[in-house]
Amino acid sequence: MRRKSLLCIVAALAVCLLLASGGAGQARAAEPYKLGVALAITGTGALYCKDGVDAIKLAVDEINAKGGFLGKHPIEVFIRDTHTKPDAAVRATRDLILRDKARTVLGTYSSACAVAIKPVCQEYKVLHIPAISNSEGITLTNFSPYTYQVVPNSYMQAKAVVLGVAALAKKKGWKTYATIASDYEWGRSTQQNTVALLKELAPELKLVKEFWPPLGETQFTSYITAIMAQKPDFVIGSIASKDNVAWMKQAKAYGFFKKIPYPGSLISVTELILQAKSLDRGLVGLCRAPFFAHLDQPMMANFVKAFKKKYNRYPSDWAVMEYDAVYALKQGIDKANSIDTEKVKAALKGATIDTTRGKLSFRNIDNQLGCSSYLGVVADDPKYPFPIYHDLVEVKGPDSWRPEKEIIAARAAEKKK
Amino acid sequence: MGKKKWAWAGAVFAALLLLPAVLGEFWVLVLTEIVIMGLFAVSFNMIFGYMGQLSFGHAAYYGVGAYTTGLLMVKAGLPLALCLPFSMIMAGAVALVLGYFCIRLTGIYFAILTMAFGQLIFYIIFQWYSFTGGDNGLQGIRPPAMLDGAWSYYYFALLVVTAAVVVMWIISESPFGYTMRAIRDNPQRTRFVGVNTKKYMLINFVVAAMFAGLAGGLWGPFNRSISPDLCNWHQSGVPVFMTIIGGPTGFLGPLIGSVIYTFLMAFVTGFTEYWPLTIGIIITMVVLFMPGGVWGLVERYGAALPARKEPPADSEREAS
Amino acid sequence: MDLSLLFAQALSGLSRGMMLFLIASGLSLIFGVMNILNFAHATLWLVGAYACYTFWFLLQNHDFAVWLAIPLAALSVALVGWVIEVVLIRRVYERELPEQLLLTYALVLILGDLIKITWGVDDKLITRPAMLSEPVYLAGVPIDSYFIFVIAVGFAVYLALWWFLQKTRYGHIVRAAVFSREMVSALGIPIPIIYTGVFVLGIFIAGLAGAIQGPVGSVTLGMDMAVVIQAFCVVIIGGFGSLPGTMVSSIIVGEVYAFAILFWPGGALALIFILTAIVLIVRPWGLFGTPLRA
Repeated sequence: MRRKSLLCIVAALAVCLLLASGGAGQARAAEPYKLGVALAITGTGALYCKDGVDAIKLAVDEINAKGGFLGKHPIEVFIRDTHTKPDAAVRATRDLILRDKARTVLGTYSSACAVAIKPVCQEYKVLHIPAISNSEGITLTNFSPYTYQVVPNSYMQAKAVVLGVAALAKKKGWKTYATIASDYEWGRSTQQNTVALLKELAPELKLVKEFWPPLGETQFTSYITAIMAQKPDFVIGSIASKDNVAWMKQAKAYGFFKKIPYPGSLISVTELILQAKSLDRGLVGLCRAPFFAHLDQPMMANFVKAFKKKYNRYPSDWAVMEYDAVYALKQGIDKANSIDTEKVKAALKGATIDTTRGKLSFRNIDNQLGCSSYLGVVADDPKYPFPIYHDLVEVKGPDSWRPEKEIIAARAAEKKK
Repeated sequence: MGKKKWAWAGAVFAALLLLPAVLGEFWVLVLTEIVIMGLFAVSFNMIFGYMGQLSFGHAAYYGVGAYTTGLLMVKAGLPLALCLPFSMIMAGAVALVLGYFCIRLTGIYFAILTMAFGQLIFYIIFQWYSFTGGDNGLQGIRPPAMLDGAWSYYYFALLVVTAAVVVMWIISESPFGYTMRAIRDNPQRTRFVGVNTKKYMLINFVVAAMFAGLAGGLWGPFNRSISPDLCNWHQSGVPVFMTIIGGPTGFLGPLIGSVIYTFLMAFVTGFTEYWPLTIGIIITMVVLFMPGGVWGLVERYGAALPARKEPPADSEREAS
Repeated sequence: MDLSLLFAQALSGLSRGMMLFLIASGLSLIFGVMNILNFAHATLWLVGAYACYTFWFLLQNHDFAVWLAIPLAALSVALVGWVIEVVLIRRVYERELPEQLLLTYALVLILGDLIKITWGVDDKLITRPAMLSEPVYLAGVPIDSYFIFVIAVGFAVYLALWWFLQKTRYGHIVRAAVFSREMVSALGIPIPIIYTGVFVLGIFIAGLAGAIQGPVGSVTLGMDMAVVIQAFCVVIIGGFGSLPGTMVSSIIVGEVYAFAILFWPGGALALIFILTAIVLIVRPWGLFGTPLRA
């Protein structure tokens, strides 16, 4: 009796395994294009990623309406959750590549996940297009020729902030500043780049104190009082998305922003919409891809219209960039006139592509798209039910990315290790 | 300890040996994960099943092992075969220091102290950017060329894990193992017969941590990268889940748990994002209706095997 | 270092501590009486925050929206707690510790996904009542007026619990059950009812704490994970089942955190873990606990 039931279990397991492994390898007639998406559907990043996934679906529907890639390869989308954990992201990516036969993986939300799946994509010769995570480390070191980055990276964003802040500091006579950044990869690399660049561009500014709230902090009161006691002329912040909401709300309740300017923190369209009521007007914020900056581009105008029609809301930065990621892939395939990954990869190298943000080019040395960063003043606008940025300054990619010399040096240092 | 048990172990081993021949690459990767996590769970059960204490920070030693191998491979370029023993030594050394305090406590306090230490180690790895790479983790951990394929790495992992599990089996059946059981069942009486229970517990704790470190060492090259999440308390929960599902009373229980847990995860995450809900419900069901896990079932219905210490049947207690 | 800075940090540390006390007091009470360490406590706290959002959303056109939403949310979470006690927890009273722990851990996972299914992935923002949205100044030091409310609620809950445990018949029974459930049971008092009551009371406080947390920042998925470990630390340091202990250790943890930020930014959480480990090693039953259960 015991042995029999055990045999049954073993047999059932074996059958399951066989079925599952067999199912992945079935023959395909029309050769659809399998597109993998590895994003954080649960946990910290879910808010941004939902928009991203919706935009990907929209782009795919549009392309499929015309028969798919090259008019003959309908796109099938496979979505996996990274749980915002590098291990889970690697598992999801392998699953996408091996079981779903994905030729391209769009992802991820967190930079730690992006750098973890990068070598996996390279190993299996699959394209990897990050459109939300933007740590510079994704393209700076351990370079993978399969990774194409369509979001302004942390260095570019820091440079944009520094250019803006240096100008402001000169105008207002600021002397001292403090930083507050979430204690994890993105917060750290952004803070470090900002401080280093400020030293270069505005050497007279003095950093009085750094604050590092942990990721997931819900109560910032102690940080707020500590910063206010330092009496800096301004504060630069890079706090992770959802923590940022708590921070802004609490700092506002302390009258923080009335006393201390807080220029150049990341306030994406998601936050503009979400905090429409509470956000302080006049705040100088940074974002990565605001749709309202490029409504003169027909591609953007159409995208916003279609997105609004389908989902009844405005697209965030994350939606814009994921949408561009799909179209970057499409143009690579068009240029290569093939869905073969090696050919698409070669076609994308240094390519200039049409995006919702205008015509942009990938840089040869690191496959970073020359996309802009945007600084502006939060202000109400009669056209929208939420505030947008006025006096928008667009810092172009080629004006803000890290000089090639430094990239070569960083890679040489890495090899020596 | 009958022949049947050996037949059992042999059948499992044969299955693990032969299955990859008919499986696709993805499922071979899942199998690799099963054996590595299986080793982790079996090592956890040395503390849980044989010492009777719940460690909720076992992932710390797993993580220390993973980082030892990862750092040695990436920064010093040492071959994998040399890194793995170092992983065991490092995990053991850390366990010696922390275990010294942990084994003084029992029950809930033991669980929480191991958890607090685990979080501390997580925190150190997370914060020490210049050395560990912080929360970005370490990338570029590739196994040597001859093991750099799904199949070859699987067989390598299987070999190492089998050897480790056999050693743990020998330990658990040795006088040392029986002393541990005695300490679990009646620490006072064991002390009275002249056994230095603290020393025994500490040794057991260190040995368990060493094998967790070995499992961690195997993980990095498999996953190509490691991150501090490997030491977080969520990760400490995984071997607990596996052991409870598989059954803590059998030596192979945690391994069975690893098979079920890992396979289910690969299967379920393929079509739904609600993996936590799924595993949560499974755990609830096992705790409520299947105490003792799969192994408990086997023991209860396997009349041929001598009955071991079993948790009391809950249905009777319910009535009161 | 000037005095006003120290005072400001002390105040912010106190408000942080009070928030922790509200979460930890229920946890401590449940463990003290039932000997069950409830992993899901912080998750139920999060349910409270989400419930507060829902009630606030329904009432948002009224001035009293938040004031009504908070107690309603706490009551609904207590109801959820009651269901959980009756359906699940009751079945494992007599089980071993690991099984109880795992059951509540499984609850964390289940509730986490259920929250996501119910409320979606969007951050939820609750607008504060107008009277608590401007800072007030104490001796020239600004403090968020909402946290004055938090501190007041913290002390009120403390006093109410103290009164209940010390001055009422039910409280005496509960305190007796902490020491010996057999004796209480022998006196003919039905233990299961006491247990259910204590569990629901503990969860009610968790729900209340969550509802109060709601308007502080945004309500987001996964918020419970950052909080649960800190709540454990508070309970350990104070001593399981000790109400004054939980209060004192909440304030200690809040203050340690607030001042660590000044002197060792980034190390604040590590300090709290170290403190917890030291207490566990030196005095496992906590500062105010009794060594009975050790």
